[in-house]
Amino acid sequence: MSDSRAWGWVAHLRDGGSTPWAEWLTAGDRPWSVERPRSVERPRSVERSRDHEPTARVLPGAQQLELLRRVNAGSRGRLADGLADRILSAAAPGRGKPDLALAGAGPEPAWGPRPVDPAELPAHELTRVATSVLADDVVGLGVPEVTSPRARLWRRRYRLLGDPLVAAELRADLIARGRPPGGRRPTVLVLAGPYDRLLADTWSRRCFERSSTGWPEWLRFWRERDALPTRVDLVRAAQPWAARHAEVCVVTDPARLPRLLGVRSLPQVDTPGADVAELGRRIATVLGLLVPKEDRAALMSQTLWPRIPRTTTPPVVVPPEHRDWLAAQAERQVRLLRRAGYAVAGDLSDLAPGPAQREAGEAAGDLDAAVLELAVRMLADPSWKHTVWMRKEER
Amino acid sequence: MSGRVLLHVGTPKTGTSYLQDVLFRNRAQLEPQGIRYAADRFDAHFLAALDLMRLTWGGLETQAVGAWDRLAASVREWDGTSIISHEILSTASPTQVARALESFGGAEVHLVLSVRDLVRQIPAEWQENVKHRSLVSYARFLEIIADPGRDTRIGSWFWGAQEIPDILDRWGSSLPPSHVHVVTVPPPGAPRDELWRRFSRTFGLDGLDLDLTPERANPSLGVPETALLRLVNKRVVPIVDPPDYRPLVRELLAHQTLSRRTDSARLGLPPEKHAWAQDLSRAWGEEITRRGYDVVGDVADLVGPPPGDFVDPDTAPADELLPAALDAISALLVEGSRLRAVEAELHRELDEARAALERSYLRPSYRLREKAVHSLETSAPGRGALGVYRRLRGRSSRSA
Repeated sequence: MSDSRAWGWVAHLRDGGSTPWAEWLTAGDRPWSVERPRSVERPRSVERSRDHEPTARVLPGAQQLELLRRVNAGSRGRLADGLADRILSAAAPGRGKPDLALAGAGPEPAWGPRPVDPAELPAHELTRVATSVLADDVVGLGVPEVTSPRARLWRRRYRLLGDPLVAAELRADLIARGRPPGGRRPTVLVLAGPYDRLLADTWSRRCFERSSTGWPEWLRFWRERDALPTRVDLVRAAQPWAARHAEVCVVTDPARLPRLLGVRSLPQVDTPGADVAELGRRIATVLGLLVPKEDRAALMSQTLWPRIPRTTTPPVVVPPEHRDWLAAQAERQVRLLRRAGYAVAGDLSDLAPGPAQREAGEAAGDLDAAVLELAVRMLADPSWKHTVWMRKEER
Repeated sequence: MSGRVLLHVGTPKTGTSYLQDVLFRNRAQLEPQGIRYAADRFDAHFLAALDLMRLTWGGLETQAVGAWDRLAASVREWDGTSIISHEILSTASPTQVARALESFGGAEVHLVLSVRDLVRQIPAEWQENVKHRSLVSYARFLEIIADPGRDTRIGSWFWGAQEIPDILDRWGSSLPPSHVHVVTVPPPGAPRDELWRRFSRTFGLDGLDLDLTPERANPSLGVPETALLRLVNKRVVPIVDPPDYRPLVRELLAHQTLSRRTDSARLGLPPEKHAWAQDLSRAWGEEITRRGYDVVGDVADLVGPPPGDFVDPDTAPADELLPAALDAISALLVEGSRLRAVEAELHRELDEARAALERSYLRPSYRLREKAVHSLETSAPGRGALGVYRRLRGRSSRSA
């Protein structure tokens, strides 16, 4: 079989096709039909040969071709202009498999990696390519210009510390309502909660700031150091403010926050699904190669975070082997916070991690598949670029 | 402009660090001779390669934004010879290769690949892995690279950077064979400067007055030193981030301390892998000859030395690790002392700055101004006047 069959598959995919390579290869010489949009004044269906002349110097890699096939399947063949070419020419960032040849597309090469059936490629290899294209999309969107309203004169002066995911969301919401943080003698609110959630929120937020290691490695890093991440080491976070005689209040009951901040209601902030955070993390890694550091943080937190589609996948969960360590850390925090004598809105015993839960996507393969599904969805349907995720529930 | 570009894409562990160091330090001497090595820092071409290949490298990639395009622009605007050299380019995919070659515009491209026998490359690559945070034992590493599936990160990286015919396929398939230059690393026992002479001839540096003092190299480690480093990795990799690992473990411990222990056993291939590596290297040599490339040196160099005594790093006894471990502890304590002195000096400077600030606060004029601001802030008209003053002054002294 010459590689003209492979170039035929490339043409088929460029035309929006989604036939798997193995099926394409074994379909003999039967022509295939291109479906055209109704608006075009040409026959709706055109027959094409399954072979084609080369249209570029090198055949795209199996990863790029299979990703395009899946995106075509997800979009029913209606891709944004130029997206097919962008996927086919995308570099798979980071370390992993090199671009692979298609099995059966020609004689077995004497050198280099073995050709593959693209349908058998692991999900994370396809996600690598997808993140490259999505990162370019995020750069293309740019950082939105936010015009904050004038600060209200009679507003409660505050600072938000602790849970970085919740703090960032509430801060943004309050700024948009003319209530920026800071000012003279602010009340320092330390956003607390069960420590398993605090860690999940910290990692998830970090994924949408400056990238991170994966959740298991990140957890292990802190466990082995027997320390808590800086932002949720509540004792250390509060101490400098206490030293400046600021009023510090540890908040474990979110229902009391609106009153403490002098507002009627606040948005409900949920930890994103494990797949959403993981895809964000991988896109952030690629963005590090495309824009300066400070731009990456802004693109991740202000452009991608409000737009990335939310899923029903549960957030990351602290696995059982780390729970004793985390419980001990939480106990220590409670002890030191009590000793410091800070005001408490809620109950410090709420800092103890909750009961062990089944981990989202317990098998790494499940999570990889969910991440790829989300990435394919974002490529197939670009409406996320123009849809800022709305917070529906309010406390 | 349409000059010439000599594009050196590897392979790793073939004297590339030394070559790049000489080119970087002598770039001012090279330009009047029509040879440009465009680099504003020693690792400029490494960063450009990361950018081209969208490759992450423990956070270093964030310094690589736009680096390839800048390098390619410099090649396009130079009508003499440009040299680009980095060994990780050996792993570029066909699409990345096409982008790289197109980025040089009309320049005449010559590909340079320096190659060394697998008998020495395999242990050297394992050592490089260990110096890059790997925990994998030597036995497991050998197992991984022998797996034809190449399904692991280590396996696919190793062959991507070392399989010479495949690298030449990816980089050289669109070039005439006379534009592809394969530089072989001389066998053990060859004159010390033989490799440099081969590089010098290939890159057109013969007869130029260059400073060849080695300032930067990627030295190899002995068996107990590498075994020790792997044990250190097991303890520190989960808790030391790459930006700290690089200066403390890779540079201070491996390069500056353990590599000085030159009397210890050198790492080789176990007997059962030796013949396999030599057979593979022979096949590669035949392929290079068949393709008609310009070979600088001798393809027979690729076969590698005969089997020697094999010392297994996975079973290195504790008493052999101890001297290296003591050297490592000493080096870290000396570095700790140096950092304490730096910290003390910074504290002293900070105290001086604070004292100067305090003195300025104590001036009567400052206290008067502070009192005025406080009293203005207590009334709405006062705050308005203060706002107007601050806007006029054009400085961000407003409340955070």
